[in-house]
Amino acid sequence: MSSLVFLTPWMLLGLLALPLLWWLLRATPPSPKHLRFPGVSLLVGLKDIDKTPDKTPIWLLLLRMLAIAAAVFAFAEPVLNPETRTDGDGPLLIVMDGGWASAPDWVARVEETERLLKQAARAGRPTVFASLTQPLPQGMPYRDARDWLSVLRALQPQSWTPDRQAAIDWLGNEGGFETYWLTDGLQHSDADLAIMLDTKGPLRIIGTSNRPLALLPLKLDAGQLSATVIGAPATAEAITLTAFGAAPNGTEVSFASISGTLPAQETEITLTFDMPLELTNRVTRVTLQGQTSAGAVALADDGSRRRKVALVGASIQEGPQLVAPLHYLRKALEPSTALIEGNLSDVLLGAPDVIILSDVGALSIASSNKLLAWVEKGGLLVRFAGPRLAADGAGQLEDDPLLPVRLRAGGRTLGGAMAWSAPKHLSPFPEASPFFGLPVPADVEVFSQVVAQPAPDLAKRTLAALEDGTPLVTQRQQGDGRVVLFHVTANAEWSTLPLSGLFVQMLKRLSISANTEGDAAVLDGRMWMPDKILDGFGRLGSAEMVTPVSGERLANPVGPDAQPGLYRSGDLRVAVNVLRANDMLAALDIPVGASIEVLGQTNEQSLKPWFLIVALTLFMLDILGTLWVTGRLFNRGATRAMGLILLVGLIPAPEAKADEARAILAANDTVLAYVITGDPTVDNISAAGLLGLSTALNQRTSIEPITPIGVNVETDDLSLLPMLYWPITSNQPALSDAAVQRLNRYLATGGMIVFDTRDAQLGSGFGVLTPNGKALQRLTENLDIPPLSPIPEGHVLTRAFYLLQDFPGRWSGPDVWVEASNVDTDQNDGVTPIVIGANDWASAWAVSESGQPMFPVGRGLTGERQREIARRFGVNLVMYVMTGNYKADQVHVPAFLERLGE
Amino acid sequence: MNQPRPSADLRAASEGLATTFPALMVEASRLAASVAMGDHGRRRAGVGEDFWQYRQALPGDDLATVDWRRSGRSDIAYVREREWESAHTVAIWSDTAQSMDYSGKRGVSSKGERANLLAMALSVLLSKAGERIAFPATIAATPRSGERQLQRIAQAISTIEQARPEYGSVPEFGDLKAARSVFLSDFMGAEGQIFPPLKTIAERAGTGCLVHILDDTEEVFPFDGRVIFESMGGGLSFETHRAKALREEYREKLAQRCAALEEFARQAGWQYLKHYTSQSPKAALLWLHMVIGGQR
Repeated sequence: MSSLVFLTPWMLLGLLALPLLWWLLRATPPSPKHLRFPGVSLLVGLKDIDKTPDKTPIWLLLLRMLAIAAAVFAFAEPVLNPETRTDGDGPLLIVMDGGWASAPDWVARVEETERLLKQAARAGRPTVFASLTQPLPQGMPYRDARDWLSVLRALQPQSWTPDRQAAIDWLGNEGGFETYWLTDGLQHSDADLAIMLDTKGPLRIIGTSNRPLALLPLKLDAGQLSATVIGAPATAEAITLTAFGAAPNGTEVSFASISGTLPAQETEITLTFDMPLELTNRVTRVTLQGQTSAGAVALADDGSRRRKVALVGASIQEGPQLVAPLHYLRKALEPSTALIEGNLSDVLLGAPDVIILSDVGALSIASSNKLLAWVEKGGLLVRFAGPRLAADGAGQLEDDPLLPVRLRAGGRTLGGAMAWSAPKHLSPFPEASPFFGLPVPADVEVFSQVVAQPAPDLAKRTLAALEDGTPLVTQRQQGDGRVVLFHVTANAEWSTLPLSGLFVQMLKRLSISANTEGDAAVLDGRMWMPDKILDGFGRLGSAEMVTPVSGERLANPVGPDAQPGLYRSGDLRVAVNVLRANDMLAALDIPVGASIEVLGQTNEQSLKPWFLIVALTLFMLDILGTLWVTGRLFNRGATRAMGLILLVGLIPAPEAKADEARAILAANDTVLAYVITGDPTVDNISAAGLLGLSTALNQRTSIEPITPIGVNVETDDLSLLPMLYWPITSNQPALSDAAVQRLNRYLATGGMIVFDTRDAQLGSGFGVLTPNGKALQRLTENLDIPPLSPIPEGHVLTRAFYLLQDFPGRWSGPDVWVEASNVDTDQNDGVTPIVIGANDWASAWAVSESGQPMFPVGRGLTGERQREIARRFGVNLVMYVMTGNYKADQVHVPAFLERLGE
Repeated sequence: MNQPRPSADLRAASEGLATTFPALMVEASRLAASVAMGDHGRRRAGVGEDFWQYRQALPGDDLATVDWRRSGRSDIAYVREREWESAHTVAIWSDTAQSMDYSGKRGVSSKGERANLLAMALSVLLSKAGERIAFPATIAATPRSGERQLQRIAQAISTIEQARPEYGSVPEFGDLKAARSVFLSDFMGAEGQIFPPLKTIAERAGTGCLVHILDDTEEVFPFDGRVIFESMGGGLSFETHRAKALREEYREKLAQRCAALEEFARQAGWQYLKHYTSQSPKAALLWLHMVIGGQR
């Protein structure tokens, strides 16, 4: 039931003043207008007949009265639906659940507790304050409530659940106090604290409207990261999960977000992130948006990462499946890793975490260099021996950086018909080896292996050995990475190791695949040092002064001695989250008849601001009204000022749309473009030349370019231009990195640049370049230019539209260079991205506005013939760029031959 | 050619003046161009251009003046006589008191501006016609004709005196004898400032016309409420609580003043025109042209 209460009711006496005000305003006439009027001379001598003064208009009067009434109401502090709090007497216990579920609205809780403490202090009640996540005191240390304020202010929510059982133990023998319990609303364990507190005295349970939600540890679900959100049943809630990871520059960025809804009576929902493998592997944590608590953060460790493993076998796979070496590896690794297969160079492009070479002998120099570089950057190379490895003699004569040890020629055969010895078994793994602790099955036998050359450090490099001490698996650090060699094959030819489960576990231990088998297997038997600790609010902080924890303790729920966070033991890292994989959240059990008071849901609403706003608005209107009545509202200055202010707001901002217009131009029509060199003469010639070429194209072919445009390679977008004509002058500035990138992208995506040094290579000789030639070299030093050769006979440029034998411009003579044809690329249909010449084509093509050629070419009729051939070359160039290499098809050859024969 | 260069400050002063009254001159000449005037024939022989009559050549007449065409028809020599055309002297007074600065509504010219415009336009017309114009009590007080006099008149009108009276009083003409007199004012001053000087001027020979320029608000008196009226110079002030109640009385007083002026004009044989600033100045100019230039 809503009720209106005034907190300072004596202010309402001000309303008595209203009738007085009415009378006053009515009685006093408004201030007179001042008018300049020459007719005053005629008015002088006239007398006012009607002495009653003009009154303030009624509406103005009412406005003023309302404004004052509103102000009086506002100052009387009206409050809607006030809260009634009755204070009690006697000893008081204030208990706070200080766990992770209290963290989201921690500030509200602390404020409420502070208020309660102050209230208790005012009433003089002996108080005890305790937080269930901190160590509980002995007995009931009653103190003045104010003393507990400092304790309260230093309190922070912790990342473990409140220990209610400890509270029950503590309060078991005490009695006779009132309790205020600020709870997080969850029944964390079986302890019925509420019922017990109810027996001690009056109980007030105070909660908040926040519904605590939590994240279970992350899982990999078919290669995708999935997270489960749990919560106690309540109203439906929309949830958003965000995955964070490290960006390449080290800062933490959010990789992806997904949303879902937790329906009203459901307790959990699983959401899956759809991210590529690289991102999934880099995720460090997933958070629930809207809840800043430790329970809403799920830390990621290797268990949620999937490694990328590359399997490289011999190039030709012969024989049935079960004998193929890669089959066993595939089966072993498929469930827990992302596999890629292929040849070595392809696989290296995929940037895998691990490369497994199965029976690969000697590699080519280029491949081995690439592989070595990859290993040194931190990659793990696992090699399996085999007949080819043994036959190729890798690592026998000298140390191979891609093998951990030097191998002995010949290998060893154990058992079999021709040998004395019996197949050997494995010996237990040494302590230093990553395989330490794995049980060795008795049925693993080794028949044949390659043998390592004895060396002083062989024992250090051995990870697994046979009964007689011969190394079976050796490893060496190389740079940042490792090379591991299994001295047997990856199939069952030389040993039964791949047939056993030990094989899978060994591969796992080599940290090839993720730890998908529960944490217990990893945690047991090791002491874990905390790397980073999660605090109650879900923030990762550094762990100082936190002692190492044993693996067994970590397997139990988190507590003050085993706080959630990232733990490290040797090489292994593990993330400990607040909740376990099978946890559930349930709402708090409360005794019958009691209820949880919800904080912050008071319907109490102060109406003071509203009344003040109303009063202010009315006062403003009153000012305007008074001005109007006395005729001063709409005088010249004011109206002009108002008009100006309004107009200023309406001025639209100008927009520059030059770039868009240019892009639209290039997209709608074919446009030939030249590069602006900065030299106006050259630019004019280029423009005129391309104009002449465009005219010729328009007349002779179906390509219809519009007026050519000049582009600035530093700033303009090149992607829509088919061809770029670049005249070289000796003083062109070097290209910036951005321009180089842009040009490279242009060349890679099908653009063609025609470089024209315009000097007919006069003055160049052996090794001597013309100035323009030097400028060309300088400009193109960072561009992706393929190997070049002069246009060979039969190149498509000689027959793209016209049949040509040479490619003159204003000059004729020097070669025109295009991409060498022996380069095997299917990129852009083999169309050369670069044409380099010195024949100054633009001058030959140039026409003035009247259509007359601008520059002389040669002399007389021969010259005009040369100009015509130059034009034909231009047409061929554009045709070549626009249509590709189809003219190189053999189907045209008969016609070509026929024409040549004539 | 060998004219001495005008001194710098004179030039500056003239340029300064030129900026104030070209607008006035342009407007006035535009207005005047729509009305044409001419020399007045005096209906007797004298100096002029129009043909009057032929008379016989007397001894002493220059042989060059003999009209041979007419003489050829007869035996005697005839001399062509021309009509005596002489310029009138027109005296114009444009009230420059502070009360003329009043303009009732934004965008409507003040009474003073209207009076100046009419005075200038009339001067332009008259000078085109060759009349002599005088603006008494200003620098253009001596009656002269021509372009220079127009410039002097423009200067006289545009200069704003420092100490202007609240209400204009008709100036003394002194020994200025004017064939025609034009008075452009609002005639709102005290009666003693207006009628006696007018009477003095009316007693001399010559006709005159009174152009009573009023603003619309002065005629209609649309004010209401509690108002303190002040004269334009701030000298007079009158407070009323209900301005609306004074309206009838005020209008009556104004009508009385207009009637008095009209009566005076009728008795003196002069013309009277009531002109509102909201009306077009061309109407007033045409009326003036008719009154002053039309009589032959």
